[in-house]
Amino acid sequence: MIDPRVDRSTPVLVQGITGRAGRMHARRMRDYGTRIVAGVSPRAEVADVDGVPVHATCAEAVAATGATASVLLVGAAQLADAVAEAVAAGIRLVVTPTEGMPVHDALRTRRLVQAAGVTWIGASTPGMAVAGEVKLGFLPEASLLPGPLGLMSKSGTLSYESGYRLTAAGVGTSVWIGVGGDPVKGTRFAELVPFYAAHAGTEALLIVGEIGGSEEEEFAQALIEHAFTKPVFALIAGRSSPEGITMGHAGALVHGRHGSYAAKAEALERAGVTVCGSLDEMTRAVSAWHAARA
Amino acid sequence: MFLLEHDGKSLLARCGLPVAAGVLLDTADFDPSLLPIAPWMVKAQVAAGGRGKAGLVRAADDLAAVRRCMADMLGATHRSMIVRSCRVETRVAQAHEAYLSFTLDAQAAGVRVMLAAEGGVDIEAQAQVAGAVRSLVLAPEADALEAGIARLVEGLSPRLTAALGDAARRLARVFVDEDLTLLEINPLFVFDDGVWLAGDARIVTDDNASYRQAGLRALIDDRAVAYPEAWRKEHHGCDYVVVDPQGDIGLLTTGAGLSMMLIDEMRAAGLRPHNFLDVRTGGLRGDPTRLVDVLRWISEGPRVKVLLVNIFAGITDLGEFSNLLLEALSRVPQFSVPVVARLVGTRVDAARTVLAARGIALHTSLDEALAQVRVHLAEGMPA
Repeated sequence: MIDPRVDRSTPVLVQGITGRAGRMHARRMRDYGTRIVAGVSPRAEVADVDGVPVHATCAEAVAATGATASVLLVGAAQLADAVAEAVAAGIRLVVTPTEGMPVHDALRTRRLVQAAGVTWIGASTPGMAVAGEVKLGFLPEASLLPGPLGLMSKSGTLSYESGYRLTAAGVGTSVWIGVGGDPVKGTRFAELVPFYAAHAGTEALLIVGEIGGSEEEEFAQALIEHAFTKPVFALIAGRSSPEGITMGHAGALVHGRHGSYAAKAEALERAGVTVCGSLDEMTRAVSAWHAARA
Repeated sequence: MFLLEHDGKSLLARCGLPVAAGVLLDTADFDPSLLPIAPWMVKAQVAAGGRGKAGLVRAADDLAAVRRCMADMLGATHRSMIVRSCRVETRVAQAHEAYLSFTLDAQAAGVRVMLAAEGGVDIEAQAQVAGAVRSLVLAPEADALEAGIARLVEGLSPRLTAALGDAARRLARVFVDEDLTLLEINPLFVFDDGVWLAGDARIVTDDNASYRQAGLRALIDDRAVAYPEAWRKEHHGCDYVVVDPQGDIGLLTTGAGLSMMLIDEMRAAGLRPHNFLDVRTGGLRGDPTRLVDVLRWISEGPRVKVLLVNIFAGITDLGEFSNLLLEALSRVPQFSVPVVARLVGTRVDAARTVLAARGIALHTSLDEALAQVRVHLAEGMPA
């Protein structure tokens, strides 16, 4: 069961805290309100980073702090092992912004977290945030206004731009989850439908997708299966992109015509989703819903 | 990246798997001693399907026919790609054609193995026949793959059970060990004596795994012309794709999704962007080199008349970025088109000051920036 719940009291680790990105983002997350309780670095000759205690292993850090979530700012080649270490130490929610994870590593890691019942957000994600409260990763503050709109995105930058325009229009977000742009990932759009259905602070949902893969189609199916009643909006990048590299007959045999903009838009519309053709259109549609809500 | 058939077969051969003997040639005026045993198939090397129906896979019985086929194919365009080389290989006669493929199932987190006793070009029609295509999603571990493959080949003729079982077990190991995301053999030839051979090879490698795949790195380095996108990513850390060779707007952008959306919106508004770019501003680290490279690539677009810089900076310091941009522009003096900058995010005021010194106005609204792009395009038009 995917459970991305996190709040100001959630004790959070930063794996890779002694690196350049680790140090910077640990500080930024803490400034935002995230309860960073410890860092992890196998080269733990440093006792602390900006006052955050550093441990050599996740197990040690969890034992010392009771951390239940971890943000991993480690290299792509180390990522699978670092997630496995977090899972073995009892972490329940892992967020991995790292880009460039080998896809076979992602496949094995997805199996590992599923077997352990751990929620993995990533890889290649700016992370997740409860606007105005806590963030795991580095979603930009210019785009984070507290409000009633749930937001899920594949692309970081396109979701920043979306959040920025919505913020300017006075529409804020509840829980924003960047599922990431990799083909094999920890949490897919469809797997978050039950969470957003149950989440009291979310009154509508925006998904920011892109062509390729079958996540948007799966998501549309999940909306129907879960009889999701909140309004849903979608913005999909790549409408004018040339047909991608075909996955051969294998792709056609498994997915049929999934993956194209037309296939995604059609599946989403059939599930009652408002599919927006541009950033402007999305901003107007979501703002109109926001203004009209009781 | 999607491998040319020749490179896919070379990979299989390197892993000890049977493929028809073949050679890669880029001119019809080749040394005949290079050819494998006659008769031949001449196969244009482009990274796209549908070659057979386009006349880009042809049989040749004598040397003159090989040269004729090559002369026809080289330089031809197939699905907007130019044929730069052909693989000439020994033609396989009298064999059964089966189908075998390995892909990743992102949802089930496993390796999907698909197998059909009757393969060939009509495999997708075959799939309409119940039970003709057998498919299983397996855990990506040796034991699970072995057991699953044994189940998949059960009940075929003894010859096919043996041949496809052997092929699947060995190809599964290659799929995992070489970090492949697609491995499709269609047709997979099975001879009367049970020997099998890969008739075609459709392979997609995982660029993210290049750090642990020396063979893939060597291929990218040797064949920069065949794999320009992978080469740029490997050596410059960014994704750059020319989407319209005749486009008149160069794009300096970051983030794949936002860059794609920008291209969608510009095209919908009747504009012609020249390129897609995810420059990854976070990877610049105070060094303008990557920007210099990117500006050089864009400057090669013969009709590019204006450069649109669109950066949404969550973390990147836009003041620092603007300084790097000016430094890069000064290092590519031959690229003297007007620059329109639309920047949002951290330290945008510092960026405004820096760019103003070079006479570049900074916009925060994308619509305003696009209006400015139109003004520059109009200025470039003959009166």
